[in-house]
Amino acid sequence: MNILLQTILDAAAAGIMWYCVGFGFAFGQGENPNKFIGDAMFGLARYSTHYTGSGTGRWTDFFFQWAFCATAATIPAGAVAERFNFNAYLGYSMFIAGFVYPVVAHWAWCPQGWLGFATVKPLLDTGYIDFAGSGVIHMTGGLAGLIGAAMVGPRLGRFDADGNPVEMPGHSAILVVLGTVLLWFGWYGFNPTSMLAIDTYAYANVVGRSAVTTTLSGAAGGIACLLGGFIRRRGWDLVGLCNGILCGFVAITACCHVVEPWAAIICGVVAGIWFDFLCWVLLKLKIDDPLSAGPMHFGTGMWGVFFTGLLAKQEYITEAYNRTEDKMYGAFYPHSNGKLLACQIIGILAIIGWVGGTMTIFFGIFKFFGALRIPPEVEEMGLDRSKHGGSAYNGGGMGVSPSAPGNDVMRNQQQPSIKVLPMNG
Amino acid sequence: MSVPAISSCEQEVYNLVSDWNLAATICKKYDCGVSASVCVLTYLAKRERELSLDFSQTARAEVAISLDVAYVLFSAYLVFGPMQLGFTLLCAGAIRSKNSMNVLMKNILDACTCAIGFYLFGYAFSYGHKSHKTSNAFIGDWNFAHSYTTDVSSDPDPVAPGDFPTQGWHAWLFQWSLCAVATTIVSGAVAERCTFGAYLAYSFFISSFVYPVVAHWVWSPDGWLSAFNTGARGGYARILRTGAIDFAGAGVVHMTGGMAALMGAWIIGPRIGRFDASGKVNEMKGHSATLVVMGTLLLWFGYYGFAPGANLTIATMSGAVVVSRVAVNTTLSAATAGLTTLFVRYFQSATWDTVLVCSGCLGGLVSITAGCAVVEPWAAVLCGLGAAVVFISSEYMVLYKMKIDDPVSAVALHLFCGLWGLIFPGLLAKPHYVLGVYGDNGFGTTVKAAGKYGILYGGHGQVLLCQFIEALVICAWVGTMMGAFFYIFKVAKQLRVHVDQELAGLDVTKQVVDQYDGGGSTAPQQPMERAAFGPGATTSAFYSNGDDAGSYGRMRPELGRE
Repeated sequence: MNILLQTILDAAAAGIMWYCVGFGFAFGQGENPNKFIGDAMFGLARYSTHYTGSGTGRWTDFFFQWAFCATAATIPAGAVAERFNFNAYLGYSMFIAGFVYPVVAHWAWCPQGWLGFATVKPLLDTGYIDFAGSGVIHMTGGLAGLIGAAMVGPRLGRFDADGNPVEMPGHSAILVVLGTVLLWFGWYGFNPTSMLAIDTYAYANVVGRSAVTTTLSGAAGGIACLLGGFIRRRGWDLVGLCNGILCGFVAITACCHVVEPWAAIICGVVAGIWFDFLCWVLLKLKIDDPLSAGPMHFGTGMWGVFFTGLLAKQEYITEAYNRTEDKMYGAFYPHSNGKLLACQIIGILAIIGWVGGTMTIFFGIFKFFGALRIPPEVEEMGLDRSKHGGSAYNGGGMGVSPSAPGNDVMRNQQQPSIKVLPMNG
Repeated sequence: MSVPAISSCEQEVYNLVSDWNLAATICKKYDCGVSASVCVLTYLAKRERELSLDFSQTARAEVAISLDVAYVLFSAYLVFGPMQLGFTLLCAGAIRSKNSMNVLMKNILDACTCAIGFYLFGYAFSYGHKSHKTSNAFIGDWNFAHSYTTDVSSDPDPVAPGDFPTQGWHAWLFQWSLCAVATTIVSGAVAERCTFGAYLAYSFFISSFVYPVVAHWVWSPDGWLSAFNTGARGGYARILRTGAIDFAGAGVVHMTGGMAALMGAWIIGPRIGRFDASGKVNEMKGHSATLVVMGTLLLWFGYYGFAPGANLTIATMSGAVVVSRVAVNTTLSAATAGLTTLFVRYFQSATWDTVLVCSGCLGGLVSITAGCAVVEPWAAVLCGLGAAVVFISSEYMVLYKMKIDDPVSAVALHLFCGLWGLIFPGLLAKPHYVLGVYGDNGFGTTVKAAGKYGILYGGHGQVLLCQFIEALVICAWVGTMMGAFFYIFKVAKQLRVHVDQELAGLDVTKQVVDQYDGGGSTAPQQPMERAAFGPGATTSAFYSNGDDAGSYGRMRPELGRE
């Protein structure tokens, strides 16, 4: 119940904050626009005369960019699940949607920004390419989640007295699969549509290619994680497969429009391997990230941004951005001047610095007042019963009877087993 | 060499435009006796009009292509997203809960392997042909790993787009989504007892070879069965000058998947306990009707990408009409089939059977797939009616007569309803629609005159014969290929899971089996720490379920000792 409420609330809080201040900070170009932050269109004031992302006064732009903002706001929910104070949660989702994310979006996607590729004065005369937001959205959300998870501490019982991790399984693989395939479906809106237009030959090409590279990267990431899990543990891991698919998507989000299909496969495979490695690192550092949101979004997002600097193809860049300057393509193509890679790295560092700084201060304030984490008794009982008026499931657990079709399957006939199963005992 | 004389006209015009060639052109067209400047101005005005006409034509052509691209992409998203999800949930709900995680995984995984297989080989085998050349009639031979798609998408010329509309990125995505549907059909038929490795190999094989070849025969402009193979023979198709009418793939997708499912289910054998010693059938109900219904509705939703999207174009009036008609026919067939199933079952056993109605709706969807573009709405209703009857009787036949255990009735649904669907246009394809979708080419005359339509409209039967031919060759090809494939795996003992594992449920970790594998293995391995549900485990999809899967997140070393 708790996490369901949190994720729905993210969309709502993001909507309001995006309307009030976020959209303005991200895309507002006032009288004297600056490179750091937007300064117009707060509350959609004077909307019809200001540039909105692909034109002036276009309502679709506000709506489309809101969807991205809501994504960034909801990513940290998984990292801090099961132990986060609800007030802190509400606070940070408004903070991310209203300030942290829009500033990064301004840098990378507003024509006035200092970082982005399609800006009036691009960085190093080249600019940072991030098509649908591996850096802007996934790194931002992932790093915020990681900082939150680190500061709020692990769930009770997650690490035993010797510091070894104790497995805490989720409660329904069906929901994980449902979520993954829905995310796959929705990602076709996230990536290809970020072109914002399809009505010319070049744009149709870019959109189509983005859909293809997205598919291949997700598929490759999934298979890589699956095989990696099999090699390490001799079992076929469903959650690993789903995570791998999502990692592939996160990584390709930056460059789906400018890489070739074979490059997308490489991107996905490396994303999967990198993700597994980061998960291991997190456990070694005793950071408890229930959904691995940090490694997935921050880690693979970072890889995706970096990969763009390696294998972005000149011809495709021209198609998408209409820029034909020489040699500003991926570093692995011959005769590249490497500036694109440099911009990608600068972008990564800037995002880490900004998000890291703001979210550390923000979470730090809550932690100082003791308002970051829920009390241990509440955590033991489960947030649903203590804070949300009861369980999400009738009867207390997702128990399903071996029912015949035609029976009432939602009527549970048994109580759930306890939620924490120590493995080695 | 003598210099040609320069007329006074050319000289004056040259003084204005400073270009001898242009001056000559202008003077040829206009009489510049009155005034050279008037000539030049008239010419310029006319030229301006021509250029802007070109431009608007170009822009219109671009928008049309882009609209088609957007449409095909969105249809692909619909086929992949809701349909794949729907089938996954349906499979999970229709089997016992102790195996649900395993079947979930197989369904997601075959989407991934299908993407890689279809990218590397499949698309090339289906549609690959060198530019301005034809491939052979059996299999495609170009564009492996998108080598040609990359090429064809980099030469922007909206007025003469070349192969881009049919071979561009969007085309791959849509064809891949159809391939994924065909690939995933088998997961339900072999559920609860198939090894993971065999399934992985199967999904790669069918998506890179078996399915693409069928798609090539029926849908590629070079395929021998294709209704679009009209290049060489004066404008009509190769087989009976008609070609098979399989609009969205009742044969290509559903019969292929259904036949593979038949081979798989037959060769792998029934689940333990399904047939008792005397051959009586034991009921093995699924564990969640909710999931089955959810899956069905999602499949129905996604079908609106599958069938209408198969038109591949919407940017013209005729294209839009066909697309809309297909959507209507799809709806009517599914609805009728669902209702008919409901009432037939009630008549048989006085129950309102939810799960069967779901399957009935799906049967209606499958059977209208071939003829949705060429039949009238009332014919779609008849199609659905027939689908329900075909489904119920073939489900009975497969289980009780052929003694093949098919947990989700994939064979009945896809093979037999697909067969009915493939035959259907031979009966009730309307002449006007046939010529609208496939062109007005009969035996050197019009479609109407040649009788190239459904026999119940008075057609001459060549369409019906082509449909039969398609059904036959698909069964033969897929049967042979997949039969051999599954048989090889069976002989190598890699097809079916160990008895103990099947009894415990596939969701429980594989380590249980290794410890007690016929005594041949070494000392029991250390039970590895493994989460019930977390990185590195495959255990039950549900924390608690009433079935006999036992506990999860723990090893069950005592299992084999009983």
